[in-house]
Amino acid sequence: MTVEKQQELIRSVFGVLCSRAEKVSNFMEVDSIFGPDSRLVYKHYATLYFIFVFDSSENELAMLDLIQVFVETLDKCFRNVCELDIVFNYNKLHSILDEIISGGQVLETSSTEIMRAVEEISKSESASNSISLVPKTVSGWRSR
Amino acid sequence: MALSGMRGLSVFISDIRNCQNKEQERLRVDKELGNIRTRFKNEKGLTPYEKKKYVWKMLYIFMLGYDVDFGHMEAVSLISAPKYPEKQVGYIVTSSLLNENHDFLRLAINTVRNDIIGRNETFQCLALTMVGNIGGREFAESLAPDVQKLLISSSCRPLVRKKAALCLLRLFRKNPDVVNVDGWSDRMAQLLDERDLGVLTSSMSLLVALVSNNHEAYWSCLPKCVKTLERLARNQDIPQEYTYYGIPSPWLQVKTMRALQYFPTVEDPNTRRSLFEVLQRILMGTDVVKNVNKNNASHAVLFEALALVMHLDAENEMMSQCVALLGKFIAVREPNIRYLGLENMTRMLMVTDVHDIIKRHQAQIITSLKDPDISIRRRALDLLYGMCDVSNAKDIVEELLQYLSTADFAMREELSLKAAILAEKFAPDLSWYVDVILQLIDKAGDFVSDDIWFRVVQFVTNNEDLQPYAAAKAREYLDKPAIHETMVKVSAYLLGEYSHLLARRPGCSPKEIFSAIHEKLPTVSTTTIPILLSTYAKILMHTQPPDPELQKHVWAIFSKYESCIDVEIQQRAIEYFALSSKGAALMDILAEMPKFPERQSALIKKAEVAEVDTAEQSAIKLRAQQHMTNALVVTDQHSSNGTPQSVGQLSLVKIPSISGDEHTSADQELSQANGTLATVDPQPPSADLLGDLLGPLAIEGLPGAAVLSEPNAVSGLEGVPIPADDAAAIVPVEKDTNSVQPIGNINERFYALCLKDSGVLYEDPNIQIGIKAEWRAQHGRLVLFLGNKNTFPLLSVQALILPPVHLKIELSLVPETIPPRAQVQCPLEVMNLHPSRDVAVLDFSYKCGTSMANVKLRLPAVLNKFLQPITVSAEEFFPQWRSLSGPPLKLQEVVRGVRPLSLIDMANIFTSFQLTVCQGLDPNPNNLIASTTFYSETIRPMLCLIRIETDPTDRTQLRITVASGDPTLTFELMEFIKEQLVGIPTAPRPPAPPAAPVAQPTNPAALTDPGDLLAGLL
Repeated sequence: MTVEKQQELIRSVFGVLCSRAEKVSNFMEVDSIFGPDSRLVYKHYATLYFIFVFDSSENELAMLDLIQVFVETLDKCFRNVCELDIVFNYNKLHSILDEIISGGQVLETSSTEIMRAVEEISKSESASNSISLVPKTVSGWRSR
Repeated sequence: MALSGMRGLSVFISDIRNCQNKEQERLRVDKELGNIRTRFKNEKGLTPYEKKKYVWKMLYIFMLGYDVDFGHMEAVSLISAPKYPEKQVGYIVTSSLLNENHDFLRLAINTVRNDIIGRNETFQCLALTMVGNIGGREFAESLAPDVQKLLISSSCRPLVRKKAALCLLRLFRKNPDVVNVDGWSDRMAQLLDERDLGVLTSSMSLLVALVSNNHEAYWSCLPKCVKTLERLARNQDIPQEYTYYGIPSPWLQVKTMRALQYFPTVEDPNTRRSLFEVLQRILMGTDVVKNVNKNNASHAVLFEALALVMHLDAENEMMSQCVALLGKFIAVREPNIRYLGLENMTRMLMVTDVHDIIKRHQAQIITSLKDPDISIRRRALDLLYGMCDVSNAKDIVEELLQYLSTADFAMREELSLKAAILAEKFAPDLSWYVDVILQLIDKAGDFVSDDIWFRVVQFVTNNEDLQPYAAAKAREYLDKPAIHETMVKVSAYLLGEYSHLLARRPGCSPKEIFSAIHEKLPTVSTTTIPILLSTYAKILMHTQPPDPELQKHVWAIFSKYESCIDVEIQQRAIEYFALSSKGAALMDILAEMPKFPERQSALIKKAEVAEVDTAEQSAIKLRAQQHMTNALVVTDQHSSNGTPQSVGQLSLVKIPSISGDEHTSADQELSQANGTLATVDPQPPSADLLGDLLGPLAIEGLPGAAVLSEPNAVSGLEGVPIPADDAAAIVPVEKDTNSVQPIGNINERFYALCLKDSGVLYEDPNIQIGIKAEWRAQHGRLVLFLGNKNTFPLLSVQALILPPVHLKIELSLVPETIPPRAQVQCPLEVMNLHPSRDVAVLDFSYKCGTSMANVKLRLPAVLNKFLQPITVSAEEFFPQWRSLSGPPLKLQEVVRGVRPLSLIDMANIFTSFQLTVCQGLDPNPNNLIASTTFYSETIRPMLCLIRIETDPTDRTQLRITVASGDPTLTFELMEFIKEQLVGIPTAPRPPAPPAAPVAQPTNPAALTDPGDLLAGLL
């Protein structure tokens, strides 16, 4: 998929979701964006939107649960996760997501297990003396 | 020390965030990309840490939406870094940036493999994750066996094994022909006994993929799935960390029930009973609670259980329980549950016997049509559409019409199409139908396709009782101040035909009607004006005695348009003008339109096509489609243009030549063809549009006029002979006797299948025939997959094998009917008796609707399928080569007119035909030696040796020598090789041994040269 196509999809999804009211369902029909038999489930927490797109081989509500697991795990990692955590630690985010979903399938659903794996990765990283998390204050530090 | 391990990265991200606008951001990104590019160019000074940092930056820039077209090599090379952080970056960025076909991935395969089979578990995890995310073919070829080993290894940690399971799943999904899962049913059954829930969840996903591909092999897993479900839902035997809001792993429950839906049924009574017990427990034990997350999770399980119950066709009692539950759900506050309640009710409709229970909830469903959430409104619309029948059509359609004025634009097209279809399908009386369609045009003209108003015209034309009513209605609408153009079209048409039936009513004198219509002319586009002109001509004709004033007025209009730039308008204006001055003769020419032949509704056809388009492949849907065909999902026109087009075009060529007969089956064919014509082109130009409306008249006209009347009808002048040539450009369809056109090139498909073991043998709009073959020595086992692509059954299916003498072929019974959207598998056993290049032919025919299709397809059970590659050493080759001293065991031929090929290409061709190219045996680098073994029933496995001598100065000629222990084999193999090297593979293969490439009088010089070489060698 080209970068342009990716961006176009993101824009279309944004276009669809930004007009959603509060207290409606978490499901959207997105056949026109992703082709027939595609489904979209989203959940938003304050300014953060989490969106999963999948096909009819998955259960919508289970996907919604998975978003919740993802967010709860992020919460454990970053203590009250917010947008900045994600922006500055997007590399970490990739590792976490890789522990939950692999090749488009659910890999692990217990956030305890996911945390365990993520901590192991952190250990491997710091054993070779590297990344630690960027605290939220970094933006303050940068913008002064 | 910076705050992160990579200060530069954090600084860069902050910079980006501080950009005021997109332009600034782009500048900053370009600067960074330039910087990275320079640093990568001079790699010497680059530490692994810096490389890692730059590659992370590249990923960030990529995520922002910029194309990063360099540095891929650096990312890939990090995979082989010794330390974890670098390796991790390499893997993550590679899987984000590169796709499965990227050449660089090949470079990494060895490293990835070493990581997978190595001892370091963290490395194993990284490698499995990347391979699972990319899933390329080469990965599958070289890594799948190692991944399989990891999955079943008892010494591996669950963390690694669950990743191996999903990695394998992805490789299998993407390359089912490469990943060998023979004998995996036992392993899967073992994996389902796994205690670790992570591994079990991944294995269950893997099972779903395997079972959906071939459920037969996995019956032994079915009881295990039921056990797993019992373990979770009944015994709650599960570690604490896997309960989610108090529910034992909802994902695993859901996956398990999904896997069960891929088995057609549960036969063993004990297993069935246990399963129903658990399902009952789930259905009854779920309540709506306050906590949203808990609610979601418990209902995820519940809805999956519902789907499984429907799939299993449970006893009626359980079904009505399900409907009762759904009835409850569609009224709850939680929107997600309302949504799924409606969706599942729609699915439920496909199961018989619940229609009446669902109807009890009609009022609630209609309320959902006004839900604040468009997702829910859509589901409600689908459900109303699905549950509509004669008894409730009036209520439902009127609700839909009412809703139309307030509905979102995004839904109006779908809504109006559905309303139109329901009105047509279930109209209690025809005047109601006319009312509905006119209201529809009035309220949502922009969303009413031409099909819809064509259809109403057809109905009115065919029902005399309806004509005065329709005309009166049309007259009423004309009084409205602003009406949609489609309304102008349909009113003008109806009034042109039938306004004389209203003559005595107030406001309906010819003059009044004319001016009511003419008032609209300035507002309409050029596609409508021709219709108005026809109407004027008709009004004129019906005005008896003639009204000179009206006549003058109309003539003035005609003469005004005589110089119109639009050809259609100009032609009509001129012709009508000429005709109307003929007086009484006009009567015969502009007589009332005759009835249309009964045709299948283009709308309903359209609906069916749209349904095919969006149909999902899940087990329940497949089955459900056999129950009914009115679950319509209309996509917008852009997305539904793919298959329907081809289906439509297919029908076009079906037109038989017709003289004015009564209603024969040929008529029906014609009408079908015309019916679909309208669907082919979403916005037909005016000529075609009228062609569709008027075209079919031809078959009902006077026998003598039949030939000419079609083009005449197009220009609106029935019965007046004009040279057919004049109108030829707008005659919409051509005659053709072939009823079904294949999709794709049959020859190409055959040749492709000669080289591989699975693929599509034949496809047309109705059926796809796939083939999968396994070859072992002289035996072959082929499976034909006959897939019905339609929503109606294919009948009189017949498959005959016409085997050549050298093959023994047994085809298992082919069912006479293939149900809608079903796939039938027919195994085929082949045994090779002796060498021959003749080809077996499959004579296949079926009936679809009224058309009969018959094709003769060559089966790819060709000579090379009975070859197996074998490598021979120099010590084996030369004695053998010498012992086969000459004809008939060893044949030699010079061949000219060969496709010029490099030696490498030729070697590739040989390899693809199971001939092993033996490197280095021939001292002359321009020659090529190959070996293979041939298997047949009558002669023992036979070693075949082949030598090709090429002339580097003239690649179009070469000399072939073939040797084997059997004269027929030698001859056949020689001919076979010649065919491959000479013939262009897509050309049809001649039935007899090809004459062209056989040695012709040759240039002695060219001959002696390679001959000498050969003599020198031996």
